[in-house]
Amino acid sequence: MTLLEAVAVRKLYGTFCALDGVTLEIPSGQFVSIIGPNGAGKTTLVNVLTGLTPPTSGTVRFKGRDVGGVGPVRLARLGMARSFQLVSVFPALTVRETLAVAIQARRRRAARLFASLTGDRALWDEVAMVAALFGLTDELGRPARTLAQGDKKLLDVASAFALRPEAILLDEPTSGVSTADKHAIMAVLVEAARRLGIQSIIQVEHDMDIVFGYSDRILALHQGRIIADATPAEIRANDAIMATVVGRPLAAR
Amino acid sequence: MLFLVAAGLQLVFGVQKILNLACGSFYALGAYVGVSAAAWALGHGLPAPLFVVALLAGGLALAVIGPPIERLLGTVYDRDESFQLLLTFALVLMLEDVIRFVWGTAPVQLGDAYLVYGRITVAGSTIPVYNLVVIAASGLIAVGMGLLLTRTRFGRIVRATAENREMSEALGVDRRRVYARVFTLGVALGTVGGALVIPATAAVSEMAIDVIVEAFAVVVIGGLGSMRGAFVGALIVGVLKAGAIATWPEVEMLAIYVVVIGVLVLRPAGLFAGAAP
Amino acid sequence: MIRAAAGVALVALLLAMPRLAPPYPITLLLPAFAYGIALLGLNLLFGTTGLLSFGHALFVALGAYTAAWLTTRCHVMAFEAIVAVAALAAAVVAVPVGLLCVRYVKIYFSMLTLAFGMLFYSFLYKFYALTGGDEGIRVLRPSLLGRGFADLDKVGFLTGPFYYYALAMLALAALVMRRIARSPLGLSLRAIRENADKAAFVGVSVRRYRFYAFVIAAVFGAVGGTLLAVPTGLADPLLAYWTHSGNLVFMLLLGGFDHFLGPLVGAAAFIFLQDFVMSLTVYWRFVFGALLAVIVIFFPRGLLGLLPPERAA
Repeated sequence: MTLLEAVAVRKLYGTFCALDGVTLEIPSGQFVSIIGPNGAGKTTLVNVLTGLTPPTSGTVRFKGRDVGGVGPVRLARLGMARSFQLVSVFPALTVRETLAVAIQARRRRAARLFASLTGDRALWDEVAMVAALFGLTDELGRPARTLAQGDKKLLDVASAFALRPEAILLDEPTSGVSTADKHAIMAVLVEAARRLGIQSIIQVEHDMDIVFGYSDRILALHQGRIIADATPAEIRANDAIMATVVGRPLAAR
Repeated sequence: MLFLVAAGLQLVFGVQKILNLACGSFYALGAYVGVSAAAWALGHGLPAPLFVVALLAGGLALAVIGPPIERLLGTVYDRDESFQLLLTFALVLMLEDVIRFVWGTAPVQLGDAYLVYGRITVAGSTIPVYNLVVIAASGLIAVGMGLLLTRTRFGRIVRATAENREMSEALGVDRRRVYARVFTLGVALGTVGGALVIPATAAVSEMAIDVIVEAFAVVVIGGLGSMRGAFVGALIVGVLKAGAIATWPEVEMLAIYVVVIGVLVLRPAGLFAGAAP
Repeated sequence: MIRAAAGVALVALLLAMPRLAPPYPITLLLPAFAYGIALLGLNLLFGTTGLLSFGHALFVALGAYTAAWLTTRCHVMAFEAIVAVAALAAAVVAVPVGLLCVRYVKIYFSMLTLAFGMLFYSFLYKFYALTGGDEGIRVLRPSLLGRGFADLDKVGFLTGPFYYYALAMLALAALVMRRIARSPLGLSLRAIRENADKAAFVGVSVRRYRFYAFVIAAVFGAVGGTLLAVPTGLADPLLAYWTHSGNLVFMLLLGGFDHFLGPLVGAAAFIFLQDFVMSLTVYWRFVFGALLAVIVIFFPRGLLGLLPPERAA
């Protein structure tokens, strides 16, 4: 079943063409990586796919519905979430509270006026569960601004995961993380996705090891166009693509 | 002449991202001081037509309060904008009583001195020439400001700092000094504006708030950070206000606020937008 | 434990006040109670959601004028009815105003609310036939829980039944607000204050919830307004003037917007302080302006902020 698709999407900023006729289709159950040099249009593509920016022409559909420019709230309701490259938290809220915001939004209970928050056992149990998945159990009571940078990033991503979206878009999930920790993070993300019922993960990533290590499929973007859409093995074998994206052919493994 | 206050507001806001509620108070101060200065000068034998000079002098002299106030505001730059707003509100309170202390609560005016310039008839309505003088002066100042910002080094520094704070600092611009000067300039614009407008109206204690709301409307219409916008905005607001009063006289006071709200609703980014809300 | 004990002591003190103290301080407490309620609402907007409204006085004035209208023009004396109508009126007005204002943030929001406040002021001032112009409308003594207390004179009424009634209303309002603050909506609002963009990304309808906060705050403001009008016996346009809104914000800041009880402390402190300063000099505004400046610069968390922070929940 196709979860997310873009059809002939073009995005123009004035006269600058950021996306030039992108068509892609992501089915349920795939782990897709979007790669490409800086300026290729990756972030623009993600913004369009997640309804943050409407495409200048073409359509974006999620679960069959047109989601061009619908905005983050609506999109979250429909079942798609995303995380950002720059870590974004609620500084004064504790880890526990941060996750609670997302979970109660998902359960459509975010606007309840007179319900007691502290008495909602189901909510706090789920908060604890998500926190455990991301290794944040020890930090539950701490305000987000006091966390170490790495934990902040985990929290940021965790709050997107807490929405239990069917598709999640991660914008450079391992950026700012030391190489040694990257695989640990990816393992956490994959496991969390499995446990929370997330069907598809789409990530923008620069680290080729991570890309090749986890993706089912790779989309290479260059100057606003998709120049390759294939499995990791096929991409790696394609010297032209590798040269464009990575800058030099990889040594044979 | 609404332009002058708006320009002052514009400048400070554009560069420092502070909304100075007290701008209206500076305006009022300028008005009161202007009246006193002019009255004093006339009383001492200044030829009538030159009373304008006395007004201007009074207004400009007042700008010296700029730097110390700016230092005060500087203490809360890094905090939430709401705090800055509150601090300027505190200033308004204080200045209001300062005015009350010095000049009392009754309206103060210059009487008919401005009529010395005579009246002329334009398009069927008679207006005092003085009003034209004020408009001309505003225009001159507008042009002057425009030149200042675009042609001089100071102007360029101001614009650069407005666009990107951190970067200008990195390039060696002393942010604090720029802020101090900009603020003083903003204050001066306000006080001069207040002084000039005096002859046509009286100096009343409610001046400050009426003006600040209107000035804000002007800034919003014209777009933050644009001098040209401030000028056009002032024109538009003035016309709209006159129109509103003409169609439904009872709502003269209301008109101002309706216009402001209308503006804020329809054109939050302004016509010559520099920064988005 | 200390806090709970202090709280109980305070309540006991308040309950006993009419018997202990001379009438004058009691009559000062009454507006403090009224403002306390109005500020609970404002705190929801500012402390919890991060929206600084400079037009809250609009709703306070609305409440006062409702009380005036109903008692003087419609001869409805039941205070319960007055409060209900005021709350309804506030909600009705808050809907269009709120819908408009919450589309903007920070400074724009503040200025827009200020403009609306002044708009209402102008309306009250100009439409003489409806609102009594600058003279305002009188507020007659209402009946509390159906009883008129005709045997008591004004002071007796105010320091007796009305005092307890107002205190009870304050307690009720505080309890309701506490509940709201600790509800899912309260948490969502705090998230919006912390990082509105991120809140949107975790599925919180930023604009809509801000709107809810606005309407709730308006209702609290109007209820406070009705309470305010009874001791003074008059509803006049100045209640909607922007500096009145500014005073409200001042009170909130004075008490501490971080704490739940901040509004109440701030209202009481402000009233007593104002009374004290006014007796010293006519230039009380200057003093208050300076005080506000000091608070903003040095004590942004207000009086309650000076206390040691409570342990995190």
